Amino acid sequence: MKKILAILLAMAMLASLGITAFADEEPIHLTLWTFQELHTQLYKEMLDRWNANPDNPKLDIDMQVYPYEDMHNKLTIALQTGEGAPDIVDIEINMFANYLKGDIQLADMNDIVEPMEDHLIMSRFNNYAKDGKFYGIDHHIGACIVFYNTEILEEAGINYKDIKTWDDYHEAGKVVLEKTAKPMCTWESKDCWSIYPLVNQHGGDWLTPDNEVRMDEQVVIDTLAFMKSMLDDGTAVACPGGNHHAEEYYGWMGAGGAASVSMPFWYLNRFTDYMPDLAGKMKVAPMPLWSDGGHKSAQMGGTGTAVVKTSKNVDVAKEWLAYATLSFEGCVATWQILGFDPIMTDVYGSEEMKAPNPFFDYYGDDIFDVLQGVLDDIPDTCLTDMFPTAADIVRNQMAYDLVITGLSPEEIAHNCAEELRDAM
Amino acid sequence: MDESAKTGRPLAKRNLLLNPKVVPYVFIAPFLIFFLVIYLYPFISTILMSFQRIDGPNSVEWIGTANYQKMFNRNFKQALATTFRYAFWDVVVLTIVPLIFAVILNSSNVKFPSFFKSLYFVPALTSTIVVGIVFRLAFGTLPTAPANRLLALFGQPAKDWLMFPDSGNFVLILLTLWRWMGVNIIYYISGLQAIPTDLYEAAKIDGANSVQQFLHISLPGIKPVLIYVITITVLGGFAMFTESVALWAQNNPGGVGRTIVGYMYLMGFYKNNMGMASAVGLVLLGLVLAVNLIQLIAMGFFRKED
Amino acid sequence: MKHSNRIDGRRQRVKTILYTTLMFITAALLMVPFYFMFLSSLKPGTEMLRNGLSLTFDPGVSSFKNYEALNTYREGIYWSWYKSSLIIMVLQTAVGLVLSSMVGYGLAMYRFKGRNAVFTLVLILMMVPFEILLLPLYRMLIKAHLTDTYFGVILPYLVPPFMIFFFRQYVLGLPKELLEAARIDGCSDYGVFFRIMVPNMIPAYGAMTILSCMNSWNNLLWPLIVLNSNEKFTIPIGMGTTITPYGNAFDVLMPGAVMAVVPIIIVYLFAQKTFIAGLTSGSVKG
Repeated sequence: MKKILAILLAMAMLASLGITAFADEEPIHLTLWTFQELHTQLYKEMLDRWNANPDNPKLDIDMQVYPYEDMHNKLTIALQTGEGAPDIVDIEINMFANYLKGDIQLADMNDIVEPMEDHLIMSRFNNYAKDGKFYGIDHHIGACIVFYNTEILEEAGINYKDIKTWDDYHEAGKVVLEKTAKPMCTWESKDCWSIYPLVNQHGGDWLTPDNEVRMDEQVVIDTLAFMKSMLDDGTAVACPGGNHHAEEYYGWMGAGGAASVSMPFWYLNRFTDYMPDLAGKMKVAPMPLWSDGGHKSAQMGGTGTAVVKTSKNVDVAKEWLAYATLSFEGCVATWQILGFDPIMTDVYGSEEMKAPNPFFDYYGDDIFDVLQGVLDDIPDTCLTDMFPTAADIVRNQMAYDLVITGLSPEEIAHNCAEELRDAM
Repeated sequence: MDESAKTGRPLAKRNLLLNPKVVPYVFIAPFLIFFLVIYLYPFISTILMSFQRIDGPNSVEWIGTANYQKMFNRNFKQALATTFRYAFWDVVVLTIVPLIFAVILNSSNVKFPSFFKSLYFVPALTSTIVVGIVFRLAFGTLPTAPANRLLALFGQPAKDWLMFPDSGNFVLILLTLWRWMGVNIIYYISGLQAIPTDLYEAAKIDGANSVQQFLHISLPGIKPVLIYVITITVLGGFAMFTESVALWAQNNPGGVGRTIVGYMYLMGFYKNNMGMASAVGLVLLGLVLAVNLIQLIAMGFFRKED
Repeated sequence: MKHSNRIDGRRQRVKTILYTTLMFITAALLMVPFYFMFLSSLKPGTEMLRNGLSLTFDPGVSSFKNYEALNTYREGIYWSWYKSSLIIMVLQTAVGLVLSSMVGYGLAMYRFKGRNAVFTLVLILMMVPFEILLLPLYRMLIKAHLTDTYFGVILPYLVPPFMIFFFRQYVLGLPKELLEAARIDGCSDYGVFFRIMVPNMIPAYGAMTILSCMNSWNNLLWPLIVLNSNEKFTIPIGMGTTITPYGNAFDVLMPGAVMAVVPIIIVYLFAQKTFIAGLTSGSVKG
């Protein structure tokens, strides 16, 4: 009996030793850089869930938040010198092409992306790809939609659901202007969130994959001409503060400045965060269509989360990233925590996405009906190594000349295209 | 003197260190060591990089003077013009206005001079980025922006201040003046106070008025300080970057938002082209050097010391 | 004679009133942005977006809550940033003052071979845009294993050229006879510097203390490249994370910016005292 007891005791001790040994297992340390503090909320949540599963190797991720521009500078320096880079890093979409030059310092993610291909919106991955290899994972589609201020529209006697085409939109704008003296929308004068979505939805882009300039194509001129026609009759005005992220715009729009704005899906949280006074008045709707072709929406903005090649733990970093961003639960958490439109088709229509959340309170519960209606027809964007240059020209020249200088659409398109060709 | 006796050997060493020929070099040694150890390599490396195309740590390509040839495009010229315009007004305004204030504050005609001096200095202590936000809002687009309200008082229409080169440059200069006036006032006052008061007394007896006193006594008296102020103002004017970022971020409406340093930044970081950025930086260095040399020679700077 | 004196006295009084009023108005104007920063640091961020720049104090929405929030924002990390900024400021200023005053003094007081060459080098170094040196400087830092250290942050500022320049200009105004007289008294050149010249240079030290503290306190680019851990960040880096192209976190930014001015004002007041005392002691220049 004593013997058995002793054996049992010994076994128990061994077991407990084993358990403690397991619990004390040294976690793998990873470093993550981001320029968006909000993202760390998602990462922390997904890290806790990862570590709660005993089958996973324990991870300890040191998340460093840097100022936006400066994080990219620091990353450039670290990658150029080959030292000091983190394991995982958030890279803004406009900057991404910079890190795909020459000898690429990022790890390819085909092994985690390809198995999921059928469940993902793959055009989001092409933005961060080169030569068939995927280097970044996005958190959202960034599908462009229109945010309508129903209070203003009702005052003008307009039902936003009747607006099907851009011509309808313009006509509605005239009524709004006449009845309420308010503009239908604002065009940005120093940024790309007005011009690029419209051009892209219309079927245009700035570059071909071989870096041929497309800025002076007819579709760009037509789009600019439409935008200018709205400026000319006052249905569109220059955006206060110059872009839809300016403090002045938030204040002005929040006080009922314009009847609508077209922005990507992720703009949802700008309204909830910065324009709380409009709660219950704003509704989302698909972009109006172009009568001469084009698509239902456009995908804009984004952050490519990448794993750095020089990391000592490339594999486990990728595994965790796949869990955090490419899994069903990761994508649901992306909506719940960040308010983004996840990149996984499976989540749309699922019960988990319908759980109550501040966005439904603000906009009503048809947000995803709107989104699902456009998902099947969103064009690719072409992000070559010249894209940062093109984006710079659009922000600083095209938008400025359209809204402030008031040049003709042909002149604008021609000048900008020349500028881009010169920079090649 | 005893120490040398105790330690024996160092007598020669001490003598060497005390040798009048050696003494000056001991004083300047910290700078020489600092330069050789910390700056010489980066400096040479930058010159080399300006002849390279750098795509990553392992893909560096020698491309001769291609960076320099490609540099002079429309954007660069625009940045150059913006920088020169800013630097010109910066030097004019920031040399003259603080000088006037310094002379007034230094005269016996102002009550509480040290109170004002302290107050004028406070803006220099704040962060440019945060103050930039304040200025950006003050000179905003809407009719309700403070600057536009002021215009409305005079019956003028609202202005989109930051969207045009002239008014944008005006706001930039105002921001710089706001921030740096107090600093330059203090430099000037330190120079003015060092001028012996009996010089002014003598001039008064000779019947000189205050303008004459200023021209013949104050101005020559503060010349070393004036040279310093102008030199660093020229430098600050050409190196300006933070202020424009604070007002426009990476945007460049009408060409006013981007200076040469901003352009360099755009090349190096936004477009990840370190070779080009180095070339732009070196051209900027040459330019600033030339402007400063002309100014220093014009002020008799090198003549005076030899 | 008496008559003209009276007119003179009246003119002086009018002048005093005029000038003092001018100084007062200017001071008030300069304080406006500052006043605004303080006011908005008391309000919730959304209030600022709603009403834009407002100069009226609204007790209904104002409170010190934002300041309390600095203690809880990301587990009170603001105060770690504060500490790092202070450490770097003190180190950088102390080392910079000592070394550059020596060099500036040497360049002004002595004639020696290569003086103009060295001084030109100082001027050139002052003019080099720091941004282009980042990459090679960082390479050196890695080789020296100084990344993520405070010493790495102050390394490029050990002997700041603009300080050398200022000290040189200042010493040029000091009488050279001081050196000769002290030498005759049997004092070594180094003794002259430390015992006689340094006390005479106190106003210059005062001015440069303020300038150096300001530069260090507001420096962003280099500390950001060197430092890797969030708790070692300086205030400008930390505050920078609250400013994004997609909207600013004013609730943290404004009180953070106001609090950040406090130590530098203390330095200023302290240095200003020495500074003015030095200037008015009359020992400067003859």
